[in-house]
Amino acid sequence: MASQSSARGAPRVFRGAGRSALLTLPMALWSLLMFTPAFRQPGRNLHTGAAAVILFMTGLFYLMMRTGETYRWRRIFFVALGFLFPVGFIASLVAERGSMSISISRMVSGDTPFCFMVTPSIILPAAFAHTIIFPGSILPTASNPHSIAMMIGLWLAFTLVLGKAWCSYACFFGGIEEGFAGFAKRRRLHRFVTRWGSRLRLIPWAILLFVVLGSAVLLEPVYCMWLCPFKTVTEFPAVRNVETAVQFGVFIALFAGLVVALPLLTKKRTQCGFFCPFGAFQSLFNKINLFEIRFDRNKCVDCSLCQTTCPTVALSAESIREGKTLLNCMKCGACVDACKKGAAVWHVKGTPVAAKPERARLLFLYGTWALATMFGGSILANSVAAMMGFLPWK
Amino acid sequence: MFPIPRSDSSALEALVLGLTTGPVCLASCGPVVVPWLLVQPQGMRVHGRQLLLFLGARLAGYLVFGAAAWLVGSSIPREWTSRSWIFGGVQVLLAAALAVYAAGWPRRRCTHHEPGRLVQIGERPAPRIGGALALGFLTGINLCPPFLIAGVRAAQLATLFASLQFFLLFFAGTAAWFIPFVSLGFVRRTPALVTVARMAAVLLACWYGFSGITNLMGKAFYG
Amino acid sequence: MRGGMKSFLGYTGAALTLAAAVSVPFFLMPALSKMVAQAGMHIDAAYSGGVIARTIQRPGYQIIVYQPVQPRMLEAIEPFVQIVFQPADALPAQVNEEIDLDGDGRPDVRVSFAVPADSRAPLRGDVTALNGRYLSLTHVAGESFSRLFVRTEKGVVVRVPLNQGVAGR
Repeated sequence: MASQSSARGAPRVFRGAGRSALLTLPMALWSLLMFTPAFRQPGRNLHTGAAAVILFMTGLFYLMMRTGETYRWRRIFFVALGFLFPVGFIASLVAERGSMSISISRMVSGDTPFCFMVTPSIILPAAFAHTIIFPGSILPTASNPHSIAMMIGLWLAFTLVLGKAWCSYACFFGGIEEGFAGFAKRRRLHRFVTRWGSRLRLIPWAILLFVVLGSAVLLEPVYCMWLCPFKTVTEFPAVRNVETAVQFGVFIALFAGLVVALPLLTKKRTQCGFFCPFGAFQSLFNKINLFEIRFDRNKCVDCSLCQTTCPTVALSAESIREGKTLLNCMKCGACVDACKKGAAVWHVKGTPVAAKPERARLLFLYGTWALATMFGGSILANSVAAMMGFLPWK
Repeated sequence: MFPIPRSDSSALEALVLGLTTGPVCLASCGPVVVPWLLVQPQGMRVHGRQLLLFLGARLAGYLVFGAAAWLVGSSIPREWTSRSWIFGGVQVLLAAALAVYAAGWPRRRCTHHEPGRLVQIGERPAPRIGGALALGFLTGINLCPPFLIAGVRAAQLATLFASLQFFLLFFAGTAAWFIPFVSLGFVRRTPALVTVARMAAVLLACWYGFSGITNLMGKAFYG
Repeated sequence: MRGGMKSFLGYTGAALTLAAAVSVPFFLMPALSKMVAQAGMHIDAAYSGGVIARTIQRPGYQIIVYQPVQPRMLEAIEPFVQIVFQPADALPAQVNEEIDLDGDGRPDVRVSFAVPADSRAPLRGDVTALNGRYLSLTHVAGESFSRLFVRTEKGVVVRVPLNQGVAGR
């Protein structure tokens, strides 16, 4: 994405410093509120991490207000989250268990932390048999605070507010490939993405269907056991037989290909846009979410810059003609910031398109950034503290 | 060992066995049926017809197995419950059928040459009748556990007719669980949905192929 | 008029979404978590070990026998019975127990294992089947969800596979 940044040039000034500061004030207060409990805990490293994150998140929001741009500043937060979450998580695993792998004894104990990516896999067995096909605990325990009830409650609350914007503001994995996508100077597989993108973006749906059916039939979380690339940077079932060895190989291959290599080559979020079934699942919630990106057909000149810029191929020529994005739009704001004619705008459903885009953007950002600060910010604070040698959950 | 059951009690037993083990049959066949039905045109009538063809072919598979079970005459080995070469072979054939169906073979005659593609997803129509029959028959002879239980019971019956009757009623019990699939006819068909269903069929083909090959190798992958 | 009403509703909805966002850490998330916790779900028996059948008291510790867990649908596990010896700290250095798993009054398996003093040390054990319904295990640690000797917070967990040829599905 560096080339888009240079194409857009240096950040513009959209709003005066005073007004920007005024608009940032609620977010600053929210950040202080969210991290006050961290200051009450002992440990200078955690205080430092919390203070750093308050400044970081507030600073980025101020820049969003000052420049009128969203994508550039959101990406800084998101990439930081993607790279720092594994650091803090792995540090805690090594401190607690001495290893990233999760043993069968821990699974039998219900000590596996619940990850939101499992959610589509467990729905059918939970609905029909009241069975959770995951080796975790329904309620929090001393050894497993990330209980199933807590994580599902968190995911559901976030999803009701964010819809698919979860994938741009809350997912602590997506920032890894967004970072790699921004690393390369130019695209090398542009023609491949242009030609096959319309079909590639359907693959997550096929994987979702496969995972949902397969999990219901095999009564195991198929995505977690076989297809999750992020096992490579978090925790994975300890290799104890041929099956788990094959699984481990698959995780590494998927991570290397989808999260590192292809984003470097295509400058797209290939895992998110062309593979992740949870992303496809989250797309369904875009139907009920009130915030979206629309296109003012009076201003659009069909230059396709938005299509080129979109990190997940959530735009097609047809959808742009209709003035909309596709269902898998993550509301990252890349197209809005890239559009030179101001045709791509933030929008609240039911209101006239392009009438008050900045109002729509503000309404969207206040809620979204508040949740990003609460969730992603706390992960960043803990990771910073861990890096400084402090593990608050010891 | 076991008293040969009277025909009327075995009829009821077959029906009850089918109804109670239907969910397991659904587990075996559902992943095949769902993407396949999603590729069919929209409409309850079309779906009903396709499902009938599928179930008819499945019944043919049941009856073939029922006749074989009676002719064999002895209790089917429990090892056949899983990890047998028959089970593995059927799964590999099912994987091949799913992959071929998803790829849209056989090709229609074209008036112009199309560039060759490795996998044709979403544009060519899937062969409907052939697909229904092939998939139905292969799922019908797929040796899922309830199927084998039914086979053991049928083999103990006095006549071939009784064995076939047992399997017919067992089939009726399991087929009742497939009725809700007709509701997929309500789902609006778009090219994207059809493409997704074909892609899912390819993934399922990979899964069945992997499972079949491991069964043929005699490997048991337990969690 | 209609467009004005739609706009009003749209902005109202957006404001409510913002209010929902602010309420997430204080109300929405706890409420939804509580709803999930009270939904009557349970962890799959392949992971949890199933339902407790009976408890056998021993001096200083107890042996909890669970009901057999059978694979459902196409679940890739062998049928098994879970036995838990708890608390692990109160167990003797060497455990040799003959246990009645099916409640018929006759022992079905003999479980033998040494309890390491260090709770983090790996655990291995043996199970000798005393009848054809169960399978023996030799020097097993954590092979699979159906063949286990592991130490957890709830005690030493042993899982004995059922003989599928006899037990059936």
